[in-house]
Amino acid sequence: MGYADDHQWSQRHLSHYVEGDLSRRARRRLDRHARDCADCGHGLRALRALVYAVQGLDGLGGVRAPASIFDQVRLAAAGGPPPDA
Amino acid sequence: MIPTEASLLARAQDGDIDAFEELSGAYADRLYMLLLRLLGDREEAGEVAQEVMVRAWRGITRFQGRSSYFTWLYRIAVNEANRALAKRERQPPSVPLGPQELDLPASPTDDPARQAENNELRRALAAALAMLPPPLRTAIVLRDVEGFSTQQAAEIAGVSPAAFKSRLHQARLQVRAAIGDDALIAVGG
Repeated sequence: MGYADDHQWSQRHLSHYVEGDLSRRARRRLDRHARDCADCGHGLRALRALVYAVQGLDGLGGVRAPASIFDQVRLAAAGGPPPDA
Repeated sequence: MIPTEASLLARAQDGDIDAFEELSGAYADRLYMLLLRLLGDREEAGEVAQEVMVRAWRGITRFQGRSSYFTWLYRIAVNEANRALAKRERQPPSVPLGPQELDLPASPTDDPARQAENNELRRALAAALAMLPPPLRTAIVLRDVEGFSTQQAAEIAGVSPAAFKSRLHQARLQVRAAIGDDALIAVGG
């Protein structure tokens, strides 16, 4: 396998690498390639940063469900129990 | 004595709406946040959340405990969100999911320039997520934003773990392309 093959393969598997989904052998292959390939090294850093940043979007601690969330089900229940209850 | 989830479930399956409300109410805020992330619109998320509860009520006697109640409820929510998105004829949310729209707290840093940069990235991320096709958006929201394991997220999305991973990787690649590597690395790297 040449550099070009490794490069294409690595580019396709950067997210799998970050996710920890690669086998040990595949991980070593990507590690080896990324050491010499600025593009893939850059891509790995970008994907790690992306996952970190998306995780940071989880800041909705103050958001509450509207009080009306059970309004429709209350109406439905007034018509009778769920089927087979 | 505080009723257990199992006892609430049994009562709800017998037609007790109060038990159903207590059982599902424990997850209402989190479920609403998921819908808000998937739909990007507070009013629509509220309407869909009501529909989720109706569907859960109507289907509760068929719930057999093969997954947790929470996972089951979340799966209904994802299905209903996808149904609502399909109704929009695959248009992106009219109101993008963004820090301002969702009252996201500012990123925790004392450096105003850094904070502005972080907030800009968060806005760009939210917009990029909103542009994803629903199955990809669902994947990245469940795995990366909500933090579910791949197994659990796949179960909620109703696909195999392998299919879920494929969607997740595609979603990340599309968001990465939309934001740009340099912007991501500058802020997060």
